[in-house]
Amino acid sequence: MNIVACVKQVPDTEAAIKVKPDGSGIEEAGIKWVMNPYDEFGVEEALKLKEKFGGDVTIVSVGPARALETIRTALAMGADKGIHINDPALEGADAYNIAAALAAAIKGIPHDIIFCGQRAIDDDAGQVGSVLAEFLGIPQVTFVTKLDVEGASIKVIRPIEGAQLLIQSSLPCVVTAQKGLNEPRYASLPGIMKAKKKPVDVKDAAGLGVTVAPKAKIAKTLPPPARPPGKIICGEEPAEKARELAKLLREEAKVI
Amino acid sequence: MELSKFSVGNEGREVFWNAENFEGLLFAFTAIAMAIFAYGIYRRWQMWTAIGKPEVRNDQIKERIKLLLKNGLFQIKTFRDIYPGIMHGLIFFGFIGLMFGAAFDATEFHVGEPYGFPFLIGKFYLVFSFLMEVLGLFVLAGVFMALDRRYITKPERLGYKGEPDNTPDDAIVLLLLGGIILTGFVIEALRIHVTNPPWEVWSFVGYTLAKAFAGVDNNTARIIHKVMWWTHTFMALGFIAYIPYSRLVHMITTPANHFMASLKPVGNIEPIRDFETAESFGAGQLEDFTWKQVFDSDACTRCGRCQDGCPAYLSGKALSPKKVVQDLKTYWLERAPLIAAAKKAAGKAAEGAAPEMPAATKAMVGEVIDLHELWACTNCMYCMEHCSSSIEHVPKIVNMRQYKVLTEADFAPELQLTYRNMENNSNPWGVGSHLRADWAKELGVKTLAEDPNVEYLFYVGCSGSFDERGKKVSVAFAKILQTAGVSFGILGTEEGCCGDSAMRGGNEYLSQTLMQTNIEVMNGYGVKKIICTCPHGYNTLKKDYPHFGGNYEVYHHTEIIANLIAAGKISLKKPVDGMFTYHDSCFLGRYNNIYDQPRKILAAVPGMKLAEMDRKLDKSFCCGAGGARMWMEEHDGERINNMRTDQAIDVNATNIAVACPFCLTMLTDGIKAREKEEKMASLDIAEVVWRAMGLEEEKPSADVCAPTE
Repeated sequence: MNIVACVKQVPDTEAAIKVKPDGSGIEEAGIKWVMNPYDEFGVEEALKLKEKFGGDVTIVSVGPARALETIRTALAMGADKGIHINDPALEGADAYNIAAALAAAIKGIPHDIIFCGQRAIDDDAGQVGSVLAEFLGIPQVTFVTKLDVEGASIKVIRPIEGAQLLIQSSLPCVVTAQKGLNEPRYASLPGIMKAKKKPVDVKDAAGLGVTVAPKAKIAKTLPPPARPPGKIICGEEPAEKARELAKLLREEAKVI
Repeated sequence: MELSKFSVGNEGREVFWNAENFEGLLFAFTAIAMAIFAYGIYRRWQMWTAIGKPEVRNDQIKERIKLLLKNGLFQIKTFRDIYPGIMHGLIFFGFIGLMFGAAFDATEFHVGEPYGFPFLIGKFYLVFSFLMEVLGLFVLAGVFMALDRRYITKPERLGYKGEPDNTPDDAIVLLLLGGIILTGFVIEALRIHVTNPPWEVWSFVGYTLAKAFAGVDNNTARIIHKVMWWTHTFMALGFIAYIPYSRLVHMITTPANHFMASLKPVGNIEPIRDFETAESFGAGQLEDFTWKQVFDSDACTRCGRCQDGCPAYLSGKALSPKKVVQDLKTYWLERAPLIAAAKKAAGKAAEGAAPEMPAATKAMVGEVIDLHELWACTNCMYCMEHCSSSIEHVPKIVNMRQYKVLTEADFAPELQLTYRNMENNSNPWGVGSHLRADWAKELGVKTLAEDPNVEYLFYVGCSGSFDERGKKVSVAFAKILQTAGVSFGILGTEEGCCGDSAMRGGNEYLSQTLMQTNIEVMNGYGVKKIICTCPHGYNTLKKDYPHFGGNYEVYHHTEIIANLIAAGKISLKKPVDGMFTYHDSCFLGRYNNIYDQPRKILAAVPGMKLAEMDRKLDKSFCCGAGGARMWMEEHDGERINNMRTDQAIDVNATNIAVACPFCLTMLTDGIKAREKEEKMASLDIAEVVWRAMGLEEEKPSADVCAPTE
């Protein structure tokens, strides 16, 4: 079974995000970059399938030079090779163009299952996996929390409000990973060392035969509105404090 | 009464009385015993040298001889636990003395008398005889104490989880020892009974015992004597022959282990130097240990001192340091002969052919040593501090953890998260690294980037930077330094995790990365002196950083505060309320021998009422957070921190003074678990001192609702 896992390098969840004064994006200085956590679930699931059924796991990532570290992280976990799509034109590109580039890269390699995170934690767009499936003309199952391979098809669980769906899909197929799918492994040290020597193909848009033409673009990045200061309700009696809280929620915050 | 060349004024005895024509037989049997002994040692030697990586343990000979004399000859480590110390001392010193006695006898017989200068005569003989009696009684008393401990009193530590771990060998050895002495006394008594010289009252045991043979005629006595003499001789020779095949081998291995003890700083873990090409890291099999680490287990006498204060064991976890060493020994006894034979075969085969080693039949880590045992260790160092055989348990544990973490990447998920947090944000909690210096925002503390010309770097550490309680300690200590006019700075957001938990949790790769990052920053500023409030940072900066080019004078804040008080730089004038007890942090106490300073500081606080817990100083009970346990769930047994809190409650303490942020967290949690937070609190020494300096009005915690004017 040949598996592809798409990964994106994103700022660490704890990183201090500062918006550039001109609104053209965020300040990158001092940011610790990590693999998008949802993509990590995809990589882990890919490795588990490889351990069970054999085959190769290829990591594909679109990003600047630093994205190579994230590809190496996935290789350290146990993936076999990487494709690094590095093209300045793709920086900040929309999901349509990113997916087009990924699709172009993936078309050239055998793929039974393609994993993506259900969304990336930086822009929270959640589109790449779906668009990629469309470009490849294959089915997609999204927000997957459990996956079983049965012959030439997969059965997955997709939680929805108040229930969960058991979905069966033919292969090849795009799967977007949701939290709960697995616990990503910690890379072993021999794994980390071997990852340094695993092959990573670097490609640009032209090399993939893709023309980058954004359909949507981020006009401006703005900092979130400043949070108003909190209020501590004082009083002797809990009942009195509760009354005051209810009053404030209704009259000041207008939420009840 | 037989005729004798001895008389009053010329006291003595016929050495080897009644043992005519014994020499040929005795020499033959002695030769056989020695041969059995020598063969056993040869076999053992092959086993000692069969397994393990090279390690130098014969450098600094002077230091090593001192250790050998101190702990081998003078039994200092054994005497640290007084009752068993005396028990062993009676046997040990008694037997050494008696061996000299036997040697004197032999010399008298083979040299003194034949060459005309007998020396076992007169007053010397009487004193000599008297001493031999006393030493014989010593050994007997020791043997009885040992029998009592092993078979009657049965202290917990001579077993595992309530089951005694006695072996037939234990009984054989004690019976041999007792038998040699008893038969010695009997043959002496029989000789006295037959020869009956008046001065033998000096041989008071034999003299008294002789009375028991009062009705026995001389010929019968001589026959019994002969039988007993040979019994005595066979037991003594048997003893010698038995040494390499029994627990008696510790007569060789234990002193050897004292001689070969680590001369490195306490708690030293040898850094892994080759990450790039090695295929396996840490110790997954016996072969991954050094030969000395393997040898250790043969020096173990199963005395159980290690187990007596092991927080993991006492809290009901699977780990017992004794069991770990014994299990490794059992595995070694299984593997070593096979490997020794394979090496021998390879030696005979064509040169250049790599010896074919017998494959391991089980996983050392996971099967020989259970993973629950492996991960229960807090690295508190109690076992090593108190081991009367100088066995080094903790590095073995860390090496086995390295195997699980680095080679197999198979370890607790919560610890994986901790390591990821350290990787991404250089702290175990994973709080954004940009928030590291926020605790100091309002204090006017400068970073070295702002002013590198300061005397001390205050290395705050992760707890002091991110933990809410820890931050208060950092603030209190910074204020103390500022008040005392000490020139210091911090690294601010350039500071990183010290690496202690990563190292002791087996993630040597991560710990070295963290250490090297800090060293680069510190060396960049030309840092020379460092103060730490966390004993873990203190210990690792002091002892592990030099491995990687970080050489600093490192101080713990209790050392600095004690000096400031002594020099009159700060004055403690405001009395503190409550009953205090001081909890010794392992990494401060056993690792760095800092016991006095915290106590001196507390004693300098006006109105200080201090009660010591039973487990204190070098016998202090760990809080449960060392050795990366701070970051792990504690599923098995009782919680260690709650047990320690109970010990503080037992001495009616209302305040547990600590000098370590991990202890602070653990004991604060313990106080909560025991529902004592209304009556008890845990405080860092710096907080106690800052309060006692009386320079700041303490704000009551509920002041947000205080009426405003």
